Parts: sequence; structure tokens; C-alpha cells
Amino acid sequence: MECQISNPSPRGVFQAHAVKALAARTLRSYFESPTATVTLFVFYLLTGYLFAAPLFLVKIASLRGLIDFVPLLLAFLVPALTMGLLAEELKSGTFETLATLPLEDWDIVLGKYLGFAALHLVCIAGLIFYVLVLALCASPAGLDWGEMLGTLLGLALTGLAFGAIGIFTSSLGKNQVVAFVMAFLVCFVLFILGKTAGLLPGGLGSVVEYIGLDAHMDNLAKGVLDSRDLVYFASLVFTFLYLTVQRLQARRF
Amino acid sequence: MILAKNLTKRFGDRTVVDHINFDIPQGQVVGFLGPNGAGKTTTMRLLTAYLPADEGQAELAGLNVFNQPLAVRRRLGYLPEDNPLWEDLELTEALHFAGRLRGLTDDASRAARVRAVVKSCGLRREIGTKVGELSKGFRQRLGLAAAIIHDPEILILDEPTSGLDPNQVLEVRDLIYELRTHKTVLISTHILPEVTATCDRVIIINAGKIVADGTPADLAGDMADKNRLHVELKGPKDDIRRALAGLPGASQIVADEIEGSFIVESAAGADLREGVFRLAAHNDWPILSLRQERLSLEEIFRALTQNP
Ligand SMILES: Nc1ncnc2c1ncn2[C@@H]1O[C@H](COP(=O)(O)OP(=O)(O)OP(=O)(O)O)[C@@H](O)[C@H]1O
Ligand SMILES: [Mg+2]
Repeated sequence: MECQISNPSPRGVFQAHAVKALAARTLRSYFESPTATVTLFVFYLLTGYLFAAPLFLVKIASLRGLIDFVPLLLAFLVPALTMGLLAEELKSGTFETLATLPLEDWDIVLGKYLGFAALHLVCIAGLIFYVLVLALCASPAGLDWGEMLGTLLGLALTGLAFGAIGIFTSSLGKNQVVAFVMAFLVCFVLFILGKTAGLLPGGLGSVVEYIGLDAHMDNLAKGVLDSRDLVYFASLVFTFLYLTVQRLQARRF
Repeated sequence: MILAKNLTKRFGDRTVVDHINFDIPQGQVVGFLGPNGAGKTTTMRLLTAYLPADEGQAELAGLNVFNQPLAVRRRLGYLPEDNPLWEDLELTEALHFAGRLRGLTDDASRAARVRAVVKSCGLRREIGTKVGELSKGFRQRLGLAAAIIHDPEILILDEPTSGLDPNQVLEVRDLIYELRTHKTVLISTHILPEVTATCDRVIIINAGKIVADGTPADLAGDMADKNRLHVELKGPKDDIRRALAGLPGASQIVADEIEGSFIVESAAGADLREGVFRLAAHNDWPILSLRQERLSLEEIFRALTQNP
């Protein structure tokens, strides 16, 4: 019986086959449990309301209502999606199975994270429906496409950053509830910092402003694509994925 | 194939694995025994590079475990303690998932491997069952099937038969016995008859230190303070007794009233069986039974691991 094993990649390079298998399994288990259904339902119910209310009541064709509230909603929903990613493997002991396969801990973390990211991006992509509604309602000239796409990009990046925070707290122990609460707290702090920045004196204020979400989100929502904002989100994602890998490598659960 | 050199692991200031050494050649099946908390699982976690060692080295298939963990793990099938499984998957899905993670990316060849392990592990009638709904025996077989999906050269199994009923123990034991042909196997267990039946060699660890290493027969020989030979001959009892006492090396003759036989005691390591045969042939006393008494593995285990 011939047994074909794909080319082993050298150390330090991702094992694409395993990352793919883990991501696919993560995504599938979201849909096979009520997790994805409940999350998508809550997400579209609330965003739908936030979108529709101003549109019909005050006839404002914008995504403004979403920008203020959706990050908070994500601070709640994303940890619910990520809390089990590693905590569950640690609890059931399957982490030991994963960690003794020919994989680096980075492969495991990345595979799990990409599975989450796929569901999150599907979620955000659904918001394009609202943009299309706006395009139909408003006069085409009145619609700022840069703002629209910037907003969607901002929300997508916010969720990706929150997801990295969530997978990190999920690596801390076997308890999913603890992972959820801690991830929510960190995400909430990022959410609230930007709003308090204005109340703080000069230097401190600008630091807090940079750490908080709002300033970056606002730039994107204006349709301004600034590399500093992209670096902000990318470094959040990388930092927390890195911390997750460090945490797993310590093997103290 | 499996080499440990001064392998040591500490948790805090407790040394859980204490400078252990062994070398397991290719094709050997080794039983790894020890009381609860002796350090068996920890040793296996070191050998699979799950945990880093504090001191010492380990090699699998000639590769350094701590420098080349991925290359080592490609050649290794490992069944962790308590057989953790992905409960939400269906049985064949679980095997496909294990195969994909192992780099069996080609659908056809992976499916062939899944069929092969389903067959060799006797899982066919459970196809379609969710892992979480399997009985313990079938879970154990599935764990084993997943561990051999890539046909590894080396198997490390941490208590593959724990919690099984005697029939299942026998079946899983037979399964491991069949796997052994081309593989080097290190298997920890608390079921000692299983070791006597399947293992070429036994390593006993106590409080992190290796206290015995050898074939069950060797260990019995090393441990016994004297040699006891049970002899049953057909003939006049008194003559037999006198003749046995005259055997060179025989130190004492004890009559076993129940079996109607004699026990010939001699110094440890001596073998009087040939002498008994000649004596029987010379006197024309047919040999009804002749049995060298051995310490059982249980007795050896108890003697070596009972902490004062
Ligand atoms: N992560 C850990 N942190 C601290 N101590 C640990 C850890 N893992 C194991 N130990 C300790 O190391 C010792 C050896 O444990 P190990 O699991 O290796 O024993 P074992 O021989 O497999 O026992 P059993 O037969 O019960 O499975 C135990 O006293 C245990 O409490
Ligand atoms: Mg153990």
C-alpha cells in the first residue's frame, strides 16, 4: 500500500496542508453546531435594525449607524466564536494529538484562526447587501463608495483583530467561559479607549487614541486608506497570534 | 530506534523523569510499566517532543527528538493517555482528518489508507457512528487507527487498553500484536498479563528511575533468590526423592503434597532439567511433568515498585 505524504516543508515554513485541514474543520464545526447560525442571526438582526432605522425614519443613506455600534457587537460575538478554538482542544486532550503531529504550533494557531476568519469575513461580506440597498434608494451620485468600502474594510479588520485576541484568551486554559469574558474585556477596552482619548491631556491622549479603535475606524470609514491604520490592525493580529503560539509552546495548561 | 540518554524532566523542584536510559532496537515491542505517577506519560511526552526535556537526549529512528521534532513525528504514531478524540466527527471523517493533518493530501490514497486502518482495526461495523457515541473499546481502536493512518515505523501507545473489559483487552492486544511485524512499539500499561503475552521486553520505571529492563524471563531470573524446579515422575516416591537429592546442585527437595510432585531447589541461575531427564531415563521413571518455576511479572513489579 503506497502511502503518499506531501513534501515535508522545512522548519519555519507553514505546513499548508495542515493549516488548510484545520481551517476547514473549524469552519465546518461552526456550521454543524448552532454557533454559526446563532451568531449570523444575531449579527444580521442587529445590523439590519441599525441600518434600516435611520434609513426609513430620517432618510439618511449611510452606514454611519453601523460604524458606531458594530465594533461593540463584534466585541461580543467574535469572542463567542473564538472561545472554544483552543480551550476545547486543551480540555479534551486533543491538543496533545495536534501538538505531536508533524506540525509547528504556528500551523495549529493559524489553521484555527483562518477558520474563524473565514466565517467572520462571510459575516461582513453580507453587509454588502445593505450597500446595495443604499445604492438603489439613494441617488447614485449621493453615494460615497469610498466611505462604504472603507467602512466594510474597517469592520472586517476590527473583527480580525478581535479574533486574534479571542484565540489568545482561548489558549490560556481549558475554560471557554473564562476565555470569552477575557476576550470581551480586552476588545471592549480597545473599543472604549478611542472614545475617552479626547478627555485625556495631550501626549497621553494621542497614545490612547492610537491604541483605541475609533481613530483608525473613523479614518477607514471616511474612505481614507492610511497605512498607519492598516499597520495598527495588522500588528494587533500578529501580536496576539504570536502570544498564542508562545502560550502554547510553554505547555502549561 | 527509540533511544533515551539521561532523559530528565522536572516540574518545579520535583524530578519526574530522572536520568533514564534505554535503547530499543527496530522491531522490538516494549512494555513500559510503573505505578501511578511513576513518570510513564511524562517520558512518552518527552519522546514525542510534546514536552521539552530539562536534561538528556532522545532519538527516534536516528533523529534527535528535540532538534528535529517534525521529522521524528512523521515516523511516529502516538496514542496519548486517555485517548483524546474529536467527538463531533463521524468515524471515517475523524480518520480522514487525521490523514489530512499528516499530509495525506491525495484523496484516493488517503481513502485507501482509511479503508486499510478501518479493516485492520476492526472498525467496519461502526462506520457512520459519531466518535462521541462509540463504545470505549471502539474508541480505543479508533485512536489506534488514527495513530497508524500514515503507517509509521514507530508506535508509542500510552495505556491503549485502559478501561476495557477482558474481551476487549484481548482484542486490542491482538491488534497491537498484528501491528508489530514491521514496527517498533513502546506501550505503557497496568495490565501485566498483556505485557507477558505481547512484549519482547519490559522496562519498569519507579519514581522517575528505571528499576528493571529486560525480557520477562530475564527479570524473573535476576530477581529470584533461588531456582525451583517442579518434577513429577512415575515411580517409587522414596527412590525418586533420594535420586533427586543426589543431583549435583540440588540444595533441598520439598514434596508438593497436592500435586504429588517434588520441588527441587537449587542456587539461582542453575538449571537442573537436563539432570532430571538423565536420572529419569536411567531409572526408567517416565516424566509426567517438569516445570521451572518463574516469578510472575506481578511479583517482580511489586517487589521493584513498592516504596517503603
Ligand atoms: N504538567 C505537570 N505539571 C506538574 N506535575 C506534573 C505534570 N504532569 C505530570 N506531573 C507529575 O509528574 C508525575 C508523573 O506523572 P505521569 O503522568 O508521567 O505518571 P504516569 O506514570 O503516567 O502515571 P499513570 O500510571 O497514573 O498514568 C506525577 O506525580 C504528576 O503529578
Ligand atoms: Mg500515565
